[in-house]
Amino acid sequence: MRPHEETISVGGIDVHAWIGGRGDPLLVLHGAGANRGWVRWIQQVAEHFTVWAPTHPGFGRSGDAEWMEGVDDLARFHLWFIEAAGLGRPHLLGHSIGGWAAAEMATMSPGSINRLVLVAATGLKPERGEILDVFYHSDAQLRDMIVHDPKTVPEWDELFGQPPTPAGLEMADRSREMTARLSWKPYMHNPRLAHFLPRVTNPTLIVWGRDDRIVPVECGEQYRRALPGATLRVLERCGHLPPIEHPDAFARLVLDFLQEAA
Amino acid sequence: MKLYYFSEMPHHEYPDAEGEKYPSLRLGFPNRFFDRAKAAANYQRYLDEYEYADQVGYDGLMINEHHSTPSCVNVGVNMAAALLGRTTKRAKLLILGNILPIEDNPVRMAEQIAMADLISGGRVLSGFVRGVGVEQWWANANPVHNRERFEECHDLILKCWTEPGPFRWEGTHYHFRHVNPWCLPLQQPHPPIWIPGTASPETAVWAGQRGYTYVPFLVPFDIARELFDYYRQGAAEAGREVTPDNLGFLICAVTADTRAKALEAGRHFVWRMGPTLRGPIEWFSPVGMRSRAGKQFALKARPRSLATLSYEELVAERFIIAGTPDEVADGFALVQRELGIGHLLLEAQESRMDHVTTMRSIELMGAKVIPAMARL
Repeated sequence: MRPHEETISVGGIDVHAWIGGRGDPLLVLHGAGANRGWVRWIQQVAEHFTVWAPTHPGFGRSGDAEWMEGVDDLARFHLWFIEAAGLGRPHLLGHSIGGWAAAEMATMSPGSINRLVLVAATGLKPERGEILDVFYHSDAQLRDMIVHDPKTVPEWDELFGQPPTPAGLEMADRSREMTARLSWKPYMHNPRLAHFLPRVTNPTLIVWGRDDRIVPVECGEQYRRALPGATLRVLERCGHLPPIEHPDAFARLVLDFLQEAA
Repeated sequence: MKLYYFSEMPHHEYPDAEGEKYPSLRLGFPNRFFDRAKAAANYQRYLDEYEYADQVGYDGLMINEHHSTPSCVNVGVNMAAALLGRTTKRAKLLILGNILPIEDNPVRMAEQIAMADLISGGRVLSGFVRGVGVEQWWANANPVHNRERFEECHDLILKCWTEPGPFRWEGTHYHFRHVNPWCLPLQQPHPPIWIPGTASPETAVWAGQRGYTYVPFLVPFDIARELFDYYRQGAAEAGREVTPDNLGFLICAVTADTRAKALEAGRHFVWRMGPTLRGPIEWFSPVGMRSRAGKQFALKARPRSLATLSYEELVAERFIIAGTPDEVADGFALVQRELGIGHLLLEAQESRMDHVTTMRSIELMGAKVIPAMARL
């Protein structure tokens, strides 16, 4: 099923979004890397749900929001997006920094969303390890660390194999800059978030890669302990990008979980 | 033309082979290689050299500040200015400079600069810098706010010095409910302000708009002229006239009794051109620190990085001037003719250049070069 693209104005900011599929709405919030669009796992989930995949302000083809200072701002923005786009009470799935935003949204307004899926989400300070400082490392170093094994990633060539264009580099630069605005200090976490998580009783699926070298899997355990209705699924031979590294298994997990709601 | 003496107060007191094991000498080179006893002795030595530079007639003493690096262990530029304010008599104290974007309390900074100005009898030239990226990491200051914080910190410091307190400051990055510093600079309305530049056209325009003294560091002459053009553009916007007193330039320089000795001493400057600047781009220019215009200009400003130039090339292109007093005087005069500047800042000690060599260079500059430059 082919998606279409739309620009939706929220609070004066033009938000680029991919939209497609059929069924109840599922809002998908991307990580710091980029909104990768209609990738394989989304195609599978869109057979049963209408997927809305907006690009965060300051990223990709969405407008600027240089006034934003934290992921809590991004969370309030996406709650507004739900209203502006007329999504009713959508399921919400967020990956990495998008997962952090999703967790913040759930604590701010649990009634605005249906089921919650957090994937390798930042937002909590690990108790033992550290969240990798992505700004301190080069793209090449990050490329080596982000997945468990590039050879097993079905869409690797398509997503990462092409030499970047000048426009692509500039867009990546802009996205990195916005990520820094949102997450520089405290780095990639909100010390207050954990205090609010018990408010969220929505059924929640947490998905992590066992070998995540960006956000340690212990953060998944912390989210599971703090969220009353949460289940944690850890994928083996998987790094920080479960939806990309194991798209079929990931789509299956998400579909099984969301379809329980019906 | 006025001459300024400058040492980064280096701490090159470890085996080079150890430094080479790390991606950079900055940030990540472990401080177990910091030698406390040698550092204690070096501070005395460096301050002695500054005091001697004052005695022989240098017009100014320049000091700077960096962190988490052996290239510069002057970690508190206002502390050094206060010390020199007490122990020197005549030279201007060029603080170049305070790193504004990483400062969380501009009011305290305004007080400290004022205190140095008072102690020195009004000799402070107050430079403000945006800093290199490494300092953003050191302070954990968000690099995307570098320019905004530079400007707001500057505005608040100026207000501290020029408007009666108490007043309130509710800005974007700084918030103070009660500003009323009981320490104001001796110079009125405030110490002259200096701004260095290496690659940012915006900074040159900004400095020109305000009539501040603008000083490119170690760039080719044609790039310096281009930056001065940006400066003039800013000055013209504000209806300001630009004189040589508005313009300075920084190079490395050493003199000795013979050309051979001076050229040997000059080799110590190579350390600051390459090894101390080595490191990942993410550390030196972190995300969002530079505007796109600044990035493009930076590429142009350093078509070849200083690290790739041989010592002979660095001398040929006058990033380093080393020779007898007559030869360095000729070299400085050439820089003055090329750029039309009123201030020449000399990085005059580096790396492992020893005390005897440094003192002799200071002595010869005072006896033969500074008087010649005063006539230019």
